Amino acid sequence: MNPLVPIIGKISKIVDETPDTKTFHVTTSNGKPFTPLPGQLAMVSLPAVGEAMFSISSQGDDHLEFSIKKVGMLTEALHDAEVGQEIGVRGPYGNGFPLDFCKGKDMLFIGGGIGLAPLRSLINYCVANREDFGNLQVIYGARSPADLCFKEELFETWPKVRDMRVDVTVDKGDENWQGNVGFVPAFLEQLNPSPEGKVTVTCGPPIMIKFVLQSLAKMNYQPDNIITTLEMRMKCGVGKCGRCNIGSCYICLDGPVFTLTQLNQLPNEY
Amino acid sequence: MNQITQEMRNLAKQLLEEEKVQLVMGWEKGSFWYNSTPVFVSKVEDVDKLIWDEFCAANLATYLLDDRFSDEKIALFVKGCDSRAVNRLVQDKQVKRENLYLIGIPCPGMKSAKAAKELGQETKEELPLEDKCIYCTHHNPLVYDILLGEEVALDDIAATAEVSRFEGVEEIEAMTPDERYAYWQDHYSRCIRCYACRNVCPACNCTECCFDLGQTWLERDVTPTGNQVYGIIRAFHVAGRCIECGECERVCPMDIPIMKLNRKIAKDIEELYGPYEAGLDTETPPPLGHYKTEDPDEFM
Amino acid sequence: MKGIKKSQLSNFLQQVSAKYSLYVPAQVDGVTRFQKYSSEREPFLTANTQLSPKELFFPQTEQLYCYETHKQEVKVEELAASSEPQVLFGVRPCDMQAIGVLDDVFLGKGYEDVYYRAKRANTLIIALACSQAEATCFCDSMGVDPAFAPQADLMMYETEDGYLIEALSDQGKDFLQEFSSALEELRSEKPQAPACELKAETDGLVEKLQKMFEHSVWAELSRKCINCGTCTYLCPTCHCFDIESKTRGGKEVKFRCWDSCMYKEYTLMAGGHNPRPTKKERVRQRFLHKLQYMPERYGKWGCVGCGRCIDKCPVNLDITKVIRELREVEA
Repeated sequence: MNPLVPIIGKISKIVDETPDTKTFHVTTSNGKPFTPLPGQLAMVSLPAVGEAMFSISSQGDDHLEFSIKKVGMLTEALHDAEVGQEIGVRGPYGNGFPLDFCKGKDMLFIGGGIGLAPLRSLINYCVANREDFGNLQVIYGARSPADLCFKEELFETWPKVRDMRVDVTVDKGDENWQGNVGFVPAFLEQLNPSPEGKVTVTCGPPIMIKFVLQSLAKMNYQPDNIITTLEMRMKCGVGKCGRCNIGSCYICLDGPVFTLTQLNQLPNEY
Repeated sequence: MNQITQEMRNLAKQLLEEEKVQLVMGWEKGSFWYNSTPVFVSKVEDVDKLIWDEFCAANLATYLLDDRFSDEKIALFVKGCDSRAVNRLVQDKQVKRENLYLIGIPCPGMKSAKAAKELGQETKEELPLEDKCIYCTHHNPLVYDILLGEEVALDDIAATAEVSRFEGVEEIEAMTPDERYAYWQDHYSRCIRCYACRNVCPACNCTECCFDLGQTWLERDVTPTGNQVYGIIRAFHVAGRCIECGECERVCPMDIPIMKLNRKIAKDIEELYGPYEAGLDTETPPPLGHYKTEDPDEFM
Repeated sequence: MKGIKKSQLSNFLQQVSAKYSLYVPAQVDGVTRFQKYSSEREPFLTANTQLSPKELFFPQTEQLYCYETHKQEVKVEELAASSEPQVLFGVRPCDMQAIGVLDDVFLGKGYEDVYYRAKRANTLIIALACSQAEATCFCDSMGVDPAFAPQADLMMYETEDGYLIEALSDQGKDFLQEFSSALEELRSEKPQAPACELKAETDGLVEKLQKMFEHSVWAELSRKCINCGTCTYLCPTCHCFDIESKTRGGKEVKFRCWDSCMYKEYTLMAGGHNPRPTKKERVRQRFLHKLQYMPERYGKWGCVGCGRCIDKCPVNLDITKVIRELREVEA
């Protein structure tokens, strides 16, 4: 098995999430390319354009989902692709979320913008294995109502799940927006969920994570119970090509998921 | 210690103490007797690192690009070639002349570190000049705020006096296209694309380089053809701005005669547009940077 | 001890090259590197090569696979990793140590690199003990014995009349058997290991560096670096690579090529964020990778003391000097 060669999958469905984010369902003739753990990564490639690492934002029985924001050449080309387009996929890579550690506990998910994509794999896992987890709460924010990803799940699916609540905020509302307006860290402090028996998983823009962590510390959340997932430029995905290391840790192998305790021991270079 | 070294240290101390500059760029002794390397002095207690000897070949002007947007006052030691690089950078508005304090040092030509390493210390007195110094036409700094030492006359430097600026270029011109292709293919096939030539070059002042944009200009696979394309694009990009300091060729770990290409282009420019040497002043517009109605137009 | 008389060396090499793909250090087109042996090509054995033997296992550019695209369809065609049996003659102990480092990286930690393995598994290495140290050599500071390469298949020692040769591995023993007719009993003794004049004091270095990530010394040390890739490309252990594609018509080749932590775009992300934006972070990465991260992750130095970077760095950013300065400053 050559870990650098992709399997060929097909885009079976494209969901427009926001003006600059789409979710791609990828399948193969044998069903989903592989079965990843929540939080794991995969290399996605479009011939002649390039290859990059993405978090797998969810999976179904026969497909993987990638939620991709348009930021560069490859993602722009992916946004131009249509259903039926064949693409390369290889993986799964990385450690994924620590499921055993989370089981039996209340789960708090704090996401910002496209940062909800990696969390979504775990949220949907918790929903699918509902009895294994305590209460579920999602706190999510985006720049504007139009920039909210996964609207169907946020406003339809998840709120109907037993003992699950979803709180959404936007930096700036519009004429139809009825929900909260404000940044995620302030919203979090305002909601003030208790740290008791809870595992928190957060992902979003670096500036949001920075202030969310400050808020969580203020609210007495312990670093062992705070989990985040990192992003670095990657090429091989299997710990050979260099570049994605933080200290002696390779994010493609040893990450992308770290507890805050682990993160605090790594050099600040991400 | 030689007198210039002493004067360098005194001057650096004075400039830093009087807070006329925040940083002094000069040379210090390297790991071996045959190399002297850039040093950056911002504390008075470090001025004794500064030296001047026959191995101070590095062109320090390149480092001005690291700080091109700061308003720090910098003192910089300049040989003839280095001063031309400063003129070019000022002319290209990469650095502000008023932020620089230029300390000129007339240069009799630097000794070849490569030869020194091979021949050993006992030959120190008879070492050949660095190649780049052999065809040097400006041993004295062209711009400076203060000059250390005495100006040197070109004729006094025997190795240089008889060598023309375009020495060796005729050899290439005399080749048939096939011979010329084979010549460059031989040399560029060993290029490892480390980009030392680009990174050391004071004319390579783009903040984003075309070779850093992935596949857009040149793929990253290292092939003899790709390497030649790299060499040619670079030569064209610095055409008319190359101050002929020869740093590209000096730092090339694969000993590719890069300056032969640059000097061929400089020669072509002279033949097409008349006498021109880049960086002699900050006023003369570079021939490829402006349009004149009498410019040759045989391509039309 | 068995060996090869100097006058018989080319005879021996010819015999080997008749059966195997033989690579020897040689000077070709103005550069010394490991080259396919030919009888007109005198092996270069007076010093180490400019380019390290890593390119034989990990070439600067290597094709990985082909893609073919037609409308929405994509076809992948794997390229067979090359696997010609080869013999490497004259690898120095520092470079042999470096090959051991590459083995750990490419063959360990859960994933095997099939391209590297295909070449490495098919290679027999004859190491050559150093009888003198160059001014830039400091391998004995990095735990390398300049006169012995335990990871090689065979060890060779240059003496006055020839090259003593001994087998270190089973493959090495078989090889000696195979070419026993080319060997004769030499009377000379194994030479003494040379001592390197250049030194690097490495005791306690890892522990000290673990506390120095945020140290101001990195800004000073990196000041003169021009962020070219010379040190990393000449380094026998540096193994970072990029994966890119080359398109000709509808056919695309995916290849990998050496990359360097010295380059800005090495860690630049598509959105514009760069965790190592200036030369301070990049220079720090290079030295910490060799002197802290590799020991932490693989239990060995990422530097073998070959001195190539010291010799060729355009600005003489000397790793032994860097180590000295890192030791001198307060953590």
